[in-house]
Amino acid sequence: MNLANTAWELLAETQRIAVIDGSRHCTYAELEHRAAAVADWLVGRGIRRGDRVAIHLRKSLEQVVAMFAIWRAGAVAVDVSHQWTSAQLDYVLRDCGVKALVTDAKHARELGARGLPATLEAVLVVGDAPADPRMAPWADVPAEPRTDVVRVIDRDLAAIMYTSGSTGSPKGVMLSHQNLVLGARSVARYLAIRPDDRLLSLLPLCFDYGLNQLLTTTLVGAALVLQAIPMPSEIAKTIATHSVTGFAAVPPTWVQFIPYVAETGTRLPSLRYVTNSGGKIPHSVLELMPQALPGVDVVLMYGLTEAFRSTWLPPEKFAKKMGAMGQAIPNAECWVVDPDLGVCGPGQQGELVHRGALVSLGYWGRPEDTAAKIRPCPQLAHLIGDEPVVWSGDIVRIDDDGDFWFVGRRDGMIKCSGFRLSPTEVEEIAHASTLVAEVVAFGVQDDALGEAVHVAVTAARADAAVDIDALERYFRQHMPHYMVPRAIHVRAAMPRTASGKIDRPRVVADCQSG
Amino acid sequence: MALTEARLVQYLRHKTGMEELDAKTTLFSDGTVDSVGMVDLIVFIESEAGFEIAQEDVTMDNFDTISRILALVASRAAE
Repeated sequence: MNLANTAWELLAETQRIAVIDGSRHCTYAELEHRAAAVADWLVGRGIRRGDRVAIHLRKSLEQVVAMFAIWRAGAVAVDVSHQWTSAQLDYVLRDCGVKALVTDAKHARELGARGLPATLEAVLVVGDAPADPRMAPWADVPAEPRTDVVRVIDRDLAAIMYTSGSTGSPKGVMLSHQNLVLGARSVARYLAIRPDDRLLSLLPLCFDYGLNQLLTTTLVGAALVLQAIPMPSEIAKTIATHSVTGFAAVPPTWVQFIPYVAETGTRLPSLRYVTNSGGKIPHSVLELMPQALPGVDVVLMYGLTEAFRSTWLPPEKFAKKMGAMGQAIPNAECWVVDPDLGVCGPGQQGELVHRGALVSLGYWGRPEDTAAKIRPCPQLAHLIGDEPVVWSGDIVRIDDDGDFWFVGRRDGMIKCSGFRLSPTEVEEIAHASTLVAEVVAFGVQDDALGEAVHVAVTAARADAAVDIDALERYFRQHMPHYMVPRAIHVRAAMPRTASGKIDRPRVVADCQSG
Repeated sequence: MALTEARLVQYLRHKTGMEELDAKTTLFSDGTVDSVGMVDLIVFIESEAGFEIAQEDVTMDNFDTISRILALVASRAAE
């Protein structure tokens, strides 16, 4: 049994395969050695316990190596989505005062041209590094590690994951080593992951479930097969080539992958289970899953970054309860509460709250936001007193068996392509374009994306039309792909409430009725 | 309507914000286009070319560059 307290200790020194990246196979012993060497480089560049080190790489062996290297150095890993724009990367680098960054040659060049933030002392480049004393190529990493593991305990910060908040800018959720290790233990237990499993890693490590998948793999000594290319044909090929047994994805992937498998009659005999998280799969696709993947367990999961992982629906319930969230995962407790009803029971709905060791440490540098999200629950005072719980902001309904069903968000957040977006974030970027006067962003049901982002806008000047082309171009330059609005609704004026504020529900209703 | 190189370059430059993108730029193998972008790209190609792209044709061999996409569309149009 792996008795790890910290993420670094999840690596066991064996000759078993840990990571497969295309034609590259890396054993646990090699992964440990490579990560130790990169940790050495980081320590040599002045990285100390608790310092933030960001990773901005596409899915690759180097990304996994960098992750464990950061933990070995006692530092905090901040994985930034490869899809994020340079403006978003710069935001993260400044927000949590990142001291070192691991990135690719193209992004290092661009960063060099923009200018490095003052706090950023060292950049390790996978490939050639620009001529800058703060930047170094991967070849600069020593062949043999010379420093010891930097000791931390399970309460120490291990990772910061950036997620959208309802107030606009992304917030960094702080996860401790305990959150990561116990999260891996819980998920590995209910999925019954074994050392001979090979798990397909398509999800990014900046997504809580993607990171959890890496850690469940290493916890049990299984192999992680990296899949950087999202095409269904390529995914199927990798599953077949490497005899993948487990596959985790988000709804936009299932929407493409399941019809592909069904249409082409592709057989994936090695596959033992698939899991979904990050939103609801459209019903038509859920119904196709047993037929497309005969004999494969389908496990539906739910989690929010602030509590890492929360609920799961056991596969034996899938046929009867397609689309349900299920109940709390091992060693976590989830309740549904309502200000009037108290603790909700079957047939009632309210907000999901999560309690347990997976509750995160809150938001980096934002104690007020943390106190609003993670706080005692009056409805549970008789059970757990003042212990803080995570308030999910998700409204769920409880069925007669006690299983949860997702109803909607409390705060108008948009869940698009597995990402949580705040309308404010979209609106702020639209305003920054100076091409519009007023803007309302909202989510519209979409089979492929869960929800698609739409915006309603008014012209910047009363005497001129909105320059749609320029606005679209601006969005694409300043937003990650999933945030770019799918539709722009031009309005002559925004309806107002009595108090003079924009009547958002009416704007949304008007746009949806055409 | 026929799908042309110029139209595809224009579409993908617009979508990715990469002004230097051309017919030889790799779209998927270096992460320029993600899964959401892929779905949009297929819809665009289908509407321009006037026929549906079969799921099994969506492979790296057929889609990683604009040149390859044009070759696929030309061979399917000839069938």
